[in-house]
Amino acid sequence: MAAAGCASQSMSIHNVPAEHPAADNAAAVESAAAFAAAAATAAGEAGRPAQDTAEIPPPLTAADAPSMRTYDPWERMNRFTYRFNARFDEALYLRLSNAYRRVPAPIRSGVHNFFGNLSEVDSVVNYTLQWRLKLSARSLGRLLINTTIGIGGLFDAAARLKLPGAPTGFSSTLATWGMHPGPFLVIPFLGPSTLRDGIGFLGDYAASYGIDVAKLYRGNVSWGLDGLNAVDQRANINFRYYSTGSPFEYENVRFLYVRKRLIEDAGLRAKDSNARSTTQMENAAHEPAGK
Amino acid sequence: MQSSDTSPARESRISGWLACVATAALLSSAPMAHAADPSAQAIAPPPAPGPATGLADSAGLRATVFGAAPQSLAPMPNKVPLAEINISLPWARPVPDVFWFDRKLRVWFSAQAGPAPLAIVIAGTGSDGNTAKLSTLRGALFGAGYHVLTMPSPTFPGFIVSASSTGVAGDLMQDGRDLYAAMREIVAHLPRRVRITEIDVLGYSLGGANAAMVKAIDASQGKLKIHRVVMIDPPVSLFASIGRLDKLFAINVGSGDDAIERLYRSLYAELANLYRASDRVQLDEDFILGAAATVLKSDAEFSAAIALSFRIDLVNVFFAGDLYAGTGVVVDPKHPPKVGDSLEETQRRLRNMPFADYFTKVFAPFYLKQRPNATAASLIADSRLDIIGEALRNDPDYYAQSNSDDVILNAQELTWLEDTLGSRIAVYDHGGHLGNIGERQQVADMLQMLAGNWVGTAH
Repeated sequence: MAAAGCASQSMSIHNVPAEHPAADNAAAVESAAAFAAAAATAAGEAGRPAQDTAEIPPPLTAADAPSMRTYDPWERMNRFTYRFNARFDEALYLRLSNAYRRVPAPIRSGVHNFFGNLSEVDSVVNYTLQWRLKLSARSLGRLLINTTIGIGGLFDAAARLKLPGAPTGFSSTLATWGMHPGPFLVIPFLGPSTLRDGIGFLGDYAASYGIDVAKLYRGNVSWGLDGLNAVDQRANINFRYYSTGSPFEYENVRFLYVRKRLIEDAGLRAKDSNARSTTQMENAAHEPAGK
Repeated sequence: MQSSDTSPARESRISGWLACVATAALLSSAPMAHAADPSAQAIAPPPAPGPATGLADSAGLRATVFGAAPQSLAPMPNKVPLAEINISLPWARPVPDVFWFDRKLRVWFSAQAGPAPLAIVIAGTGSDGNTAKLSTLRGALFGAGYHVLTMPSPTFPGFIVSASSTGVAGDLMQDGRDLYAAMREIVAHLPRRVRITEIDVLGYSLGGANAAMVKAIDASQGKLKIHRVVMIDPPVSLFASIGRLDKLFAINVGSGDDAIERLYRSLYAELANLYRASDRVQLDEDFILGAAATVLKSDAEFSAAIALSFRIDLVNVFFAGDLYAGTGVVVDPKHPPKVGDSLEETQRRLRNMPFADYFTKVFAPFYLKQRPNATAASLIADSRLDIIGEALRNDPDYYAQSNSDDVILNAQELTWLEDTLGSRIAVYDHGGHLGNIGERQQVADMLQMLAGNWVGTAH
């Protein structure tokens, strides 16, 4: 990956993953068609009365949006951690993931599916803890299908059987139990998070470690697997630290991350089949987001 | 490469909307008092004649936000190799603590195996050297046999910090000199196996004007022997175009933080409701792509998205300029911020400041001090392509592409381009601002122009 090139001290040149514009364009045409079809279906559905309107909480209004300020009492520490993560990413993590992207795509997608399948165990546990039994059963079904027909999870056969993934984790469980996201938190190596997401991450790891499926988490291979999992995750995130060049990147990332998670929480609540319509999004209008 | 995740076409379709969400970035509360700056009173902001939307109609605004439709894209090569270049430039100024990550200039390079012409492509206002639009142009140019070097705009913070000799971006001549010097350094340090037969320069939006300036500078210095230039949707009067974007912001977003907060709240609610109604479990790129078409409906909303995405870029330019020029508008020159310091208040203040404030409080004070003979009026005049009008008129190697519904031009400016370039400009009847980059006709014409085979608008 550090390709042959200029040896000058002032200039470095190294190869990054090649682009495949022809395939990208073909994919764009395909997805545009898919979206057009989906939009047409949605328009058709909007025309007839929904059967379960009673279960859907009323739509959010502008007043329900959280404050534009983010609760960040640990900002100073977070900012230094953010810089540490950016440096770690440039020096090692991103390089590893770029090198990994030279592996043929079918192999990478097998790796990705394999780890995704392992995480279904955690999803089953957490959907159960959230008392979302339908979703728990769906994750269990996916686990069984992909482990067998999908050959140990290398193929996402369940998605082809119209059973797409719906991963969840301990952070969502905590949200279901009423825990707010809490302060914004930048975790070393992992990146932007909130206190709840951080605890959720530890909980997910503890669950995987405790259940120890196929002795993958405590055996001799666990370090290698964890490493591969980390590289696979990085290779699937289209983000580069400071590619915006902006001195306000920390503010921007914090803002977007916390609001994304708040919207996901609101979505999760709305999806509850036993619609407890009182649990719609708290009006956080006058409170900093995340508090 | 995860082809479906990083398709340039998809990125360009959502980029406008993402920018809109990223405004989020911009958001917070506390109304801010515009302190009157005594030194600025003498300087009037540049005039911005014509409607705020320039020549754009509804379709032009939509094309500007969504970009070219995937079905209309030109054929592209299967594979384009890519290398990243990081270079320290000897004239760079000391790097302020808050810009620690912008120490080196970062550009991207795709090399042909054998001897080939080099196409250098410059990004538009505020953009880095690897945008979706640059990626599209890279594919087209590499496919046509060029080595391709893509560079950030001289208004990109990474360029301002690593390659600007002033730190105050926006002066066409100064930015052109800095770009030219950076190009010379990069070309001189390319690996020996890269054999370059000639150099051509392209750019889109402000990058188009930058490309023309670079060629004009090369005409006197002769170090790169730049052959042809293609300007894609360039401004004619940089400050007038930006002034209209200020107006667009004032009309469609409003002024003050309350206006931004209102916009944020309605966007948040719309997005949350769409998400709740969907069956997704993660708010991802796919969802946002689908949401974009639903959330933006009226011309005013598209206008707001365009104005906001520009304001986001301006915030960075303003901050860097104020810091380097020591003008003290939002950065205390004696106590510049450090890595651990919050910049939220600074960002909040800047997002409420139009370009007119940058001009009167940072740009003009700085350049008037540097150039004893200059006046505010002469600085404004120097932001027009007229300063190289003679060359554009007489040198057969300057070409341009423009759209008759471009947001950043008014009728006089488009006429000026047509009069000045004569048969060397192609004007399309759609695309808004940059919304037809990558389309078959745009790419075919661009390649003809670069090859010197352009025969005029026969189509």
